[in-house]
Amino acid sequence: MIKHIGRSQRSSTTGFVFGCSVPEPEVPLFGSFVKAPIQKQQAEAIGLIYNIVVEDDQFVRPMISAGDQMPDDEFEAYLQDQRQNRNVPIEVSVLTVGYRNGAGFIHSLPPQPPMLLDKIHYCAEDEIRSFTERFDYLGLILEAPDVPADELIAVSLLKAAEVQPNRTRFLQTAGRELAKMMTRDLARLEKLLRRIKP
Amino acid sequence: MALDISKVTRAVNALGESAATYAKELNDRLALARATFNAIAADPAELTRIADEVSRKFRWAGAIPTRETINGAFPLPQRPARFNVIAADGSQIYPDRHGIALYYLINVGSIVFRHGLSDAPSTASLPEVFFEDEDLYYEEENSLITTEMINANRDVRELGELARLTKIEAASAPTTALLDNSLLLYISLREQNPKFSREVIEKYLAHLDVLRSSGAVVAGVVDRPRSANLIRLLNLSTLGPDEITQENLHGVGKQFKHVTDSTLFHVLKPGERSALFVLASPANIEKYEPRGHKTYFFFLNTGRPSKNAILRIEVPEWVATDSEKLNLVHAAIVEQCKASGGFPYVLMRAHELAVVTAPERRAFDEMVTGSLIRNRVPASLSQKQQGKAWTGSGRRRYR
Repeated sequence: MIKHIGRSQRSSTTGFVFGCSVPEPEVPLFGSFVKAPIQKQQAEAIGLIYNIVVEDDQFVRPMISAGDQMPDDEFEAYLQDQRQNRNVPIEVSVLTVGYRNGAGFIHSLPPQPPMLLDKIHYCAEDEIRSFTERFDYLGLILEAPDVPADELIAVSLLKAAEVQPNRTRFLQTAGRELAKMMTRDLARLEKLLRRIKP
Repeated sequence: MALDISKVTRAVNALGESAATYAKELNDRLALARATFNAIAADPAELTRIADEVSRKFRWAGAIPTRETINGAFPLPQRPARFNVIAADGSQIYPDRHGIALYYLINVGSIVFRHGLSDAPSTASLPEVFFEDEDLYYEEENSLITTEMINANRDVRELGELARLTKIEAASAPTTALLDNSLLLYISLREQNPKFSREVIEKYLAHLDVLRSSGAVVAGVVDRPRSANLIRLLNLSTLGPDEITQENLHGVGKQFKHVTDSTLFHVLKPGERSALFVLASPANIEKYEPRGHKTYFFFLNTGRPSKNAILRIEVPEWVATDSEKLNLVHAAIVEQCKASGGFPYVLMRAHELAVVTAPERRAFDEMVTGSLIRNRVPASLSQKQQGKAWTGSGRRRYR
């Protein structure tokens, strides 16, 4: 069974926030595809991570000044403990870009958000491939307020490209779809296409 | 609103006035305590003899001076270039008669910090679930295990984990093992089940035997100590021979009311420790001394020049009477406190590794529920617990 990466702590149909405690190497990545159960496990919301906040940690506060006062070699073991062993409290924001029900993947907002404490998982590679067979979901990103839309589109497309049988063709098709959606903002489109150039 | 603020205004005003009066009286008593402490330091031999005698004749939770000057301050010793500090701490989920299943859980977190190496420390969490009848019920009375008994089992497991890790690590470098607690297990005094008490204390002492034979040192660390063992010694010093009675020994005396030991050591500079004292607890004399683990204590300033942090450190006799071991525990604790603001870093981490958070508790309950369902056992909360779950979150269900 694949381990979940966190549990939802607040949600709406347009997105959700989940909390997780993981060692630093396992901190979730911006632009990753994730999924959360909805409608009593009958369906899954699909989302993209667009913000990661390392929460305030009172444990670390005295170490900030201590780190400046101790020789680097003496402080190193404390630093390694914090980075490798400690579970960093993290709040991760996700933009919902679709959902999956019995009929397959749908690129529109789900009928319900995830409930509190629902488990959040990364999407598997085959799920990412299936979800990105079409690009309608990019419209949801472009229209989302308070989201770094262009960066999110670029990073998530590049991530999705890594699991495609033909990376170049995938990115070219995505670029063409973006061109259709962004005809009124050619300067922005050009920047975005440059970011995802195969 | 459940609390009508207007109805408690007068009481709150009175509380403030009372606190001001209390603070002034406490200052006066503190001055007297410090003066008495310095006075007995000049010639403590007779008082030491009396304290030792009293500790064996009466139930007296006092302190017995050692050969060290009782108001002395002992500087921070040189620390080795390479040494280990190990800590263990525990937490528990108590059995819940209203829960989905009857069990309790003990989780012990531990950390091995290797000073002089830049590697990340080794950390571990060891959970144990207890659900069999022999775990949950008193043998004689068929009563559900008490929280105090679970706490004692947890303390034994903490020390057991320290003993296990110390056996592994002590060969590589001088090693200090730390507990976030008193070194004395008080269960034998309070517990109603004498068989349980005997067994648990025997296990605890066996772990101390292992620690001693490993060549490492062990210490219990008490933050913000509220103990008054030395204040009881000061009280004893004011009693004439005819006044030494169980009743007069019970408290600290009116003249020292609410004064605590740690307030006597505001004079310690950062890194300095106080003199050693023997803890005159009945458990110490009856259980620990015969096995060579009699508990001593001292106070240690682990703060910095602008901010004192006074910890109470408890060590067994085989550490207290060995200057090399005593210096190691002194230096190791001060070193550990540098990175974490006055309390050993390893103890903070061991606590963090041990604590069972609310989401973890929920996840564990989910696992238990799943196991019950798979085994076709009805899994439900009691009606009372269900009611609490619905109303106790403070969250509105509808907007």
